[in-house]
Amino acid sequence: MPKMLVPYPENCTGCRFCEMACTIVHEGVVNHATARLQVHRRNVKLDFPSVCTHCVSCGEDCCVLHCPVEAIKKENGRVFVNQDECTACGTCVEVCPFGVMRMEEKAFNCDLCDGDPTCVKFCPMKAIVFEEPKPEQYEKVKKLLGEE
Amino acid sequence: MKGYTGKILKVDLTSEKWHIKSFDEKHVRNVLGGQGFCVDIVYHGVPKGADPLGPQNVLAIAGGAFDGFPVGTGGKVAFAAKGPATNTLVESIMGGSIGPELKHAGYDALEIIGKADGPSYIFIEDEKIEINDASDLWGKDTRVVPETLKKRHGWDVKVACIGVAGEKLSNMACIDCDDRQAGRGGLGAVMGSKNLKAIVVRGTRDLVPHDPKKLLELALHYQKIYEASPSFVEDTKYGTGEFLGWVNKDRGVFPTKNWQESVYNERQQIDPYYWAPKYVTKNKACFACTKPCGKLFEIKSGKFAGVAIDGIEYETLYSLGGACGNPDVESVARANELCDMLGLDTISAGVAIGFAMELYQRGIISQKEAGVDLSWGNAPDAVPKMVEMIGNREGLGDVLANGVKIAAEKIGKGAERYAIHTKGLEPPAYDVRGMKGHGLAYMTSTRGADHLRAGFYAPELVGKFWKWEGIDRFSAVGKGPMVATMENFMCVYDSVGLCKFSRGFYLIAKLPEVLEAITGLKFTEDELLKIGERIHNMKGAFNYREGVTRKDWLLPPRILEDPIPEGVSKGSKISVEEMNLMLDDYMNARGWTRDGEPTPEKLRELRIE
Repeated sequence: MPKMLVPYPENCTGCRFCEMACTIVHEGVVNHATARLQVHRRNVKLDFPSVCTHCVSCGEDCCVLHCPVEAIKKENGRVFVNQDECTACGTCVEVCPFGVMRMEEKAFNCDLCDGDPTCVKFCPMKAIVFEEPKPEQYEKVKKLLGEE
Repeated sequence: MKGYTGKILKVDLTSEKWHIKSFDEKHVRNVLGGQGFCVDIVYHGVPKGADPLGPQNVLAIAGGAFDGFPVGTGGKVAFAAKGPATNTLVESIMGGSIGPELKHAGYDALEIIGKADGPSYIFIEDEKIEINDASDLWGKDTRVVPETLKKRHGWDVKVACIGVAGEKLSNMACIDCDDRQAGRGGLGAVMGSKNLKAIVVRGTRDLVPHDPKKLLELALHYQKIYEASPSFVEDTKYGTGEFLGWVNKDRGVFPTKNWQESVYNERQQIDPYYWAPKYVTKNKACFACTKPCGKLFEIKSGKFAGVAIDGIEYETLYSLGGACGNPDVESVARANELCDMLGLDTISAGVAIGFAMELYQRGIISQKEAGVDLSWGNAPDAVPKMVEMIGNREGLGDVLANGVKIAAEKIGKGAERYAIHTKGLEPPAYDVRGMKGHGLAYMTSTRGADHLRAGFYAPELVGKFWKWEGIDRFSAVGKGPMVATMENFMCVYDSVGLCKFSRGFYLIAKLPEVLEAITGLKFTEDELLKIGERIHNMKGAFNYREGVTRKDWLLPPRILEDPIPEGVSKGSKISVEEMNLMLDDYMNARGWTRDGEPTPEKLRELRIE
């Protein structure tokens, strides 16, 4: 199984450095609204990261399945949006269970920084780790998101 | 000029109107950002003699120049106004995410004037501004308020709010954001006086740095330095209270039982080496902090089961612990939680309770008058109870809510002798009788007794910092110029928005390359320190104009008359002669008059209008 981003809510301090680093690397700007991952800072007890799992979490591939123009593909275990075919309808943003399919002019998602994820590099607390997928960690985050 | 939005949003709660002011590079070169922007707004915006709790007062909020960008520990936001506790220009810095969010919404600073008709909150979503009814939030605590507002406006909005203490205009009311507080000097009461319960922000715009690649390189460089440093391990394991045992035993300057003692012998439980392994369930951080000292402290069983706080900070271990002779860490945690929820500064609240307990010890107030058994032995029960009474202004709590200076005047019977403060603000956790330069810093701090305006505790406790070595904490000689320089240093820190716990990593000389990566502007170390000096002089000029002069700066009787009774600092105090020597040295170093007035020549030199 290829490595994937794995979130550890129990380690997240809520600093949101990963979000900033994500958009600085990709767009050269800071914008939490377009970061390919999201840190939720809910209350004193709970901060957690939500990351793109490239749908290894349940294998449902929500965005791929629901895209009405089949612009979202999965190859070698990685989900990506074909920018030429995307019509920016927003369906994938709605169906993503982790809330990390993002939309500007077109939809886009995490590209794992070509195998060296920036968010992981900047998390000293190991709240996001690049490793063997851990379904139980994805379920934890999905449950937390369901409460919002 | 990159990195800034170039805009300040000014909201008038009286007329329910707002407008946007622009600024250019000149403004940045004058006051940099964060605290500098806030001080500039208050300095120019508050008319002479304005009531701190009246509609003329201005509340300013601004993220530092680094805030919003990936600079490790660079996520600090400043709040400022004329403070009700001291009648001086009070700024308070915290690590909440409202600073960067305001920038994403398009504003480097927010300026709030006037007074709303009834309970209100400001909602900002990029260019959309609303002043909304907050009747349903009035009376609610600082956890219910953000929870309610996030349900209403979406989980991703950022909320700064006040608790009941701010509504009830307590001089020790703070402003809360992300369970962190702009605590000192009663800025929560300024919000309360404006009927402003909360500020809610969502920003969706890009923040554009000058050189993103360089910025990321620097971030990675400093991240490696943080992670390799011993303080990274200490902070992440034990938080800011890590050195509590050392300050007690090796330095003997941990103020105890309202500063009657300076070594707390019953400190076992409040030492993080005891409580962190037992109660800490997770690390917490300010915005952008990759070196977290915040701790989620949870009590799972017993009398205080259910307590969950971001803490306990060193200062709070002193104020609600040692200063009240409270050895029970669960009681300290509960009192801390109550302070947070009611919106009280833990330092001022704890010192006020310790003060009341000494008055009780001396028979100046009785149990009947207090309504609570304030004997030292009852501290674990009395401290949380008194916090509630202060927050809700009940009984003796109503008197203490105004701070120890005003409370002592009201109580009389010699209570003034036991009120520990300068300019009307209760002091933090360093017994300055055994660290005399820090004692000077308590006097010169523009917002009243404070450890972070100069941060002079570190050089004196360690004996060296930056360009100084062999610093003798028991000596008053030569401290004036050092404290003045450190104040300028700290003004720069609060204006770029860096955490002061990073000052060992980022000396001022390291800041220009980070600033350039963000803004594209070049600064030298000297230019930055000049900006720091300008900001401090603006605060000094404001305070002098408001009639706060040398006579108000002086140390309280206990520090001048009662030597430290035991421990390694035994016998030390600051004499009146030493106090005056240090003050004279300081005024000379600043180019101020003996009375504490920044001279017209000095203000001209710094281009302050």
